[in-house]
Amino acid sequence: MKRLSISERLGLVSYRNQARTDAKAHIEVDTDICNSTCPHQCTTYVCPAKCYTLDEAGELHFQFEDCIECGTCMYACDQGAVKWSYPDPETGRGVNWNFG
Amino acid sequence: MEEKFDCIIVGGGIAGLSAAMILARADARFLLIERGEFCGAKNVSGGVLWGSDLNELVPDFGDSPEGFERFINHRRLTFMDDQSAFSLDFKSAHFEQTPYSGVTVLRSKFDAWLAGKVEAQIEQGTHSESSFLATDILVQEVIQESGRVVGIRAGGEDFFADCVILAEGVNNLLTRQIGIEPAYVPADHVAVGVKEVIEFDKSVLEDRFQLNGRSGLTNEFVGFCSDGVEGGGFLYTNEKSLSVGLVLGMKDLREKKKAPQDILNQFKEHPAVRDMLTGGKVVEYSAHVVSTGDIDAVPERLYDDGVLIAGEAAHLLLNAGKAIQGMDYAMRSGILAAEAVLAAREVSDFSGAQLSGYQKALENSYVLTDMHNFHDAVKLLHDPMMFGAVPNVLCDFGRQFFTIRSEPGQKSRHMMTAAVKRHSSYWDLIKLGAKAARAL
Ligand SMILES: Cc1cc2nc3c(=O)[nH]c(=O)nc-3n(C[C@H](O)[C@H](O)[C@H](O)COP(=O)(O)OP(=O)(O)OC[C@H]3O[C@@H](n4cnc5c(N)ncnc54)[C@H](O)[C@@H]3O)c2cc1C
Ligand code: SF4
Ligand code: SF4
Repeated sequence: MKRLSISERLGLVSYRNQARTDAKAHIEVDTDICNSTCPHQCTTYVCPAKCYTLDEAGELHFQFEDCIECGTCMYACDQGAVKWSYPDPETGRGVNWNFG
Repeated sequence: MEEKFDCIIVGGGIAGLSAAMILARADARFLLIERGEFCGAKNVSGGVLWGSDLNELVPDFGDSPEGFERFINHRRLTFMDDQSAFSLDFKSAHFEQTPYSGVTVLRSKFDAWLAGKVEAQIEQGTHSESSFLATDILVQEVIQESGRVVGIRAGGEDFFADCVILAEGVNNLLTRQIGIEPAYVPADHVAVGVKEVIEFDKSVLEDRFQLNGRSGLTNEFVGFCSDGVEGGGFLYTNEKSLSVGLVLGMKDLREKKKAPQDILNQFKEHPAVRDMLTGGKVVEYSAHVVSTGDIDAVPERLYDDGVLIAGEAAHLLLNAGKAIQGMDYAMRSGILAAEAVLAAREVSDFSGAQLSGYQKALENSYVLTDMHNFHDAVKLLHDPMMFGAVPNVLCDFGRQFFTIRSEPGQKSRHMMTAAVKRHSSYWDLIKLGAKAARAL
């Protein structure tokens, strides 16, 4: 069986409000903490949807659009940088599992 | 909303729907609110629903199998190193009688089916116009008045009830809002589950896994599958697909600097797993946090004035090595929470003191009894030897034992001694064995 990349995997996910360009973020990350005092930047590898990434300059960025609402970053971040909530059904993103 | 409800349930997962079924049967007036587009839309499990509680909620569910995937009559526990797999395998006709003691489910389908059964039950009562399962609505806040829970706020509207059941799952924001659990829950209280659903031609699946009609196989894995991280793997047969995934300790994952989706790739490429997946097509990738099942993570009190916490919102789950039991725990705790609400209604007293009967009922049921009794087993699973030395020794021994060379052979006890020496020491294994004997 072919190895799947993260984008191929996320391509199988049914996201809500996919057509909305102004979807409201349900997770807010204080990236100042990520890029200054965080000793491990663990969310860049524990997030199963790779929503936390490092650019070439080593700066951390967060995007909520690919988030699959697993909850991981809310526990893995012990630096107080993640403000986590559920997406609003109408204005937010989030998932609609076909199998679950 | 004009009148207040007898009860508001937050969450239409297994705990919430189970509570709703009991309330509907007693003809109570309630509101269940689920944020997903339909019940199940947001939920992920491995998923085997163990035990026989489903039969209590939906009698004879086994005769009309639209809700579940397969009943389990074949179980396998596999220890793996990078090349080998050493399994304990048990299949029995005893498991073929209804009520089944384990069925595989896909939550998007199962929860929606259970919600349909609850709605049918509501229809039969006098509140068919005033009890609701409301979906696609997010509960934003629990409303408290002088320290007592009186209702919830959702979609800018307030709803009131004598009692609220929080059945919101492990990511329990409202349970934290009312202070039953601290606002920050540390990584060592939870694990992360990642999973794929892999579809097959049904006849290929049946032939490959020796399935007969609706029978099914569960396979748990320890060792190489979790790449040195505390946790394990699973492979479960659905009607036309497999659920394949991992549950990985969150703190250990953070410390070992590993990505769950990479470990899943590696697991799928293990020779023993690879050959089970040949020809399949991945149709969904998912992930969700799951409780570790450590009773130390369960809040001290699962009730307060006007409120009860059920299911994984209360970290009720057992993972003592032979199965993950979160759904049956959610089901039973949901049932007991609804029964506590009905008992409170009898005496018109929804104080914490009255509702504490819920916690006592949990203590008397398998839920908290087993979480206490198997606490040592849960702790034992965190021992690195359990996912390192033990599977390695077994696979090494297996390789020697099953190899036939054209030369004089060794006695098995010499093989075992050599295998132990290569990966561990007898003394360490004896210590572990003694712990295991006490724990199990
Ligand atoms: C990968 C993985 C494998 C697993 N394998 C198994 C297994 O094989 N067997 C087993 O028994 N268990 C397994 N579990 C655990 C099991 O899935 C959970 O224990 C179980 O789903 C808990 O049920 P629940 O009803 O308490 O919570 P959930 O199923 O999480 O339901 C909570 C519901 O509440 C809703 N909700 C939450 N907040 C709000 C809000 N504010 N407003 C409105 N609605 C809200 C959610 O949308 C959801 O529908 C597994 C878990 C994972 C992640
Ligand atoms: S762990 Fe927290 S602080 Fe560190 S990078 Fe991730 S989100 Fe930022
Ligand atoms: S909730 Fe899960 S998927 Fe979403 S950003 Fe956090 S870790 Fe990633």
